Amino acid sequence: MTAPVQPHYPHPSADDPRIMLDAQIGQYEQVPPYPPRTEREAEFYTLGDGEMFLNMGPQHPSTHGVLRVVLKINGEKVVDLDPVLGYLHRGVEKLCENSDYHHIISQIDPLEYVSSLFMEWAPVMAFEKLMDVQVPRRAEYIRVLTGELLRIASHALFQGWMALDLGGLTPILYSFIERDEIVEMLAAVTGQRMLFNYFRIGGVNGDLNHEFMSRLGDWMSRAAVQHEANIGLLNENEIFVRRMRDIGRVDRDTALRMGVTGPNIRAAGIPFDVRRAHPYSVYPELEFNVPVRGSNGGGDSLDRYLLRLDEVRESIRIIDQCLHEMPDGPVMARLPRLMRPRPGRAWAAVESPRGLFGTYVISDGTDQPFRFRIHDPSFVHLQLVGMLMKDNLIADTMAVMASLDPVMGGIDK
Amino acid sequence: MAMTPGGAETAAQAAEDSAPGGEAALVKAAPGDVSSPIIVPNTLWTSARPNSYESTAARFTHLRELEHSDLMLSDTARWGQLEVIPTKADLIIDLIRMNSLWPLLSGLACCAIEMMSAATSKNDMDRWGMFPFRASPRQADVLIVAGTLTTKMAGPLVRLWEQMPEPKWCVAMGDCTCSGGRYKRSYSTIEGIDRVMPVDVYVPGCPPRPEGLIYGMMKLGQLVKERRGHWPEHPIGPNVPQDV
Repeated sequence: MTAPVQPHYPHPSADDPRIMLDAQIGQYEQVPPYPPRTEREAEFYTLGDGEMFLNMGPQHPSTHGVLRVVLKINGEKVVDLDPVLGYLHRGVEKLCENSDYHHIISQIDPLEYVSSLFMEWAPVMAFEKLMDVQVPRRAEYIRVLTGELLRIASHALFQGWMALDLGGLTPILYSFIERDEIVEMLAAVTGQRMLFNYFRIGGVNGDLNHEFMSRLGDWMSRAAVQHEANIGLLNENEIFVRRMRDIGRVDRDTALRMGVTGPNIRAAGIPFDVRRAHPYSVYPELEFNVPVRGSNGGGDSLDRYLLRLDEVRESIRIIDQCLHEMPDGPVMARLPRLMRPRPGRAWAAVESPRGLFGTYVISDGTDQPFRFRIHDPSFVHLQLVGMLMKDNLIADTMAVMASLDPVMGGIDK
Repeated sequence: MAMTPGGAETAAQAAEDSAPGGEAALVKAAPGDVSSPIIVPNTLWTSARPNSYESTAARFTHLRELEHSDLMLSDTARWGQLEVIPTKADLIIDLIRMNSLWPLLSGLACCAIEMMSAATSKNDMDRWGMFPFRASPRQADVLIVAGTLTTKMAGPLVRLWEQMPEPKWCVAMGDCTCSGGRYKRSYSTIEGIDRVMPVDVYVPGCPPRPEGLIYGMMKLGQLVKERRGHWPEHPIGPNVPQDV
């Protein structure tokens, strides 16, 4: 036998001490990856009678990103679980604190990649508050229009992923048709399909062009019908409904106590919507309903699923109103290229497809913020997972987690 | 190989003998009829040089000599004289590999959404045999690293790569995996995955369009066919330790 050939690529840990490989930590990572530091960890990593650990992730087809969940299972039943975060921690806050105010928009863009326009919207609003910038009305309408379009795309993806996690492949083919049409439409304006980098401090990057309007007209003429058709794929499927009903119930008190926002709290019966509760942009001038589902006992996975489909109808209404009421005029305020706001602090929050997304900025008078804090709804919702998955079956964990619709980019920042 | 002109004549003669005058209904078969070969005349192709097989094939002792002779230069010679496709099994297997590149279903960040978009209805990667995204690394050929690779994820990703059976290839999708991209300055990311694993095709873009990924996968197919990609360090097959 010949001697084993050494790999021709450099060994990764040779020059980068940050990377821990199997060779350094033993061939297999021990399930408690560290000696327990808290009482909770010590309790979790002690196995009872008939119990075992099951690692789900970090590479797993249905964790919506690189999330690792250590499940403590007894047979088919999940006794306890421990989510391990940080596999997608990219240091966005620190990067933003080292970028100037215009540059932050492109840095924060890929934070939550499914709905990246909302990631731009919140910091841009915070900076405008900090600098007392008046945004032209046409720019505000364009922001609402593109944002609601992206909300529809995000909810369409949610529907596909929800079915995919429960084992149905077909709906995701249809939801990606919707999503691809919308992002191609936005790409005609912004030049990018996903990370648009479109909003600016004091307006938007460019006015709507002819290609966008013609694509949007085509799409709007059949959007409502297409949405009802996509709904019909799943909502009358008995297997789907029976797997979703009475799974992962969040009651009203829990939702309020844990700080749940967005569709998840509205599905628990509480009509909280940032667009109504703390109105921003031109939302006070637009007519739309805040759909609410769930009963006094709160909402289950099926409620959370159905509520997002209701929101798509309202978004189509908002887009229709924007197209009719959009005024003419400039799309960008006249601003200096290098901005040094006065020392101060500002908070701005928007209703992203996942809930309240907010940024908190502290300025010290230079062209870079002193502190840039990101509040992401997915992180809040992931805290529910431990409560909801406990005492469920393993197969139901995905029905719970997918219905909360977390995106790991926002959770790990 | 029993296609001789004489044989055809004999069969025609036998058919005439057994059915004289068109009354074929109750004629008994003659003793030699069944054992005589049934000859189907060749009407599908004609060879440019019909006698070249008998006259030249005996000279060749190795396939390489045939490849270098002028016989291999024309398709008529290849199909007409040899009646086989002279090739190596490796070439056929490479063609199969090239046309069924099964990726691993592992998305890291933003690019994963575009990777899914490339796999679904509008840009249907299945048309080039790239579709079945395997959830297990044991069944996958290609690792598409889609998204930012952080230092915490590097260990699990390298383990995924090492769990894939040879031969295997790696596609770096997106700027973050090619060079660090917009997170190059961050303290927690790896500036290009070629620091931790070999890469065959780089697809830049932040994120690249689905067409870009498909183009990269087609380029990978060319590499596979020409054996220019990452080639296994171990012989292909079950990797048996020496002690066993």
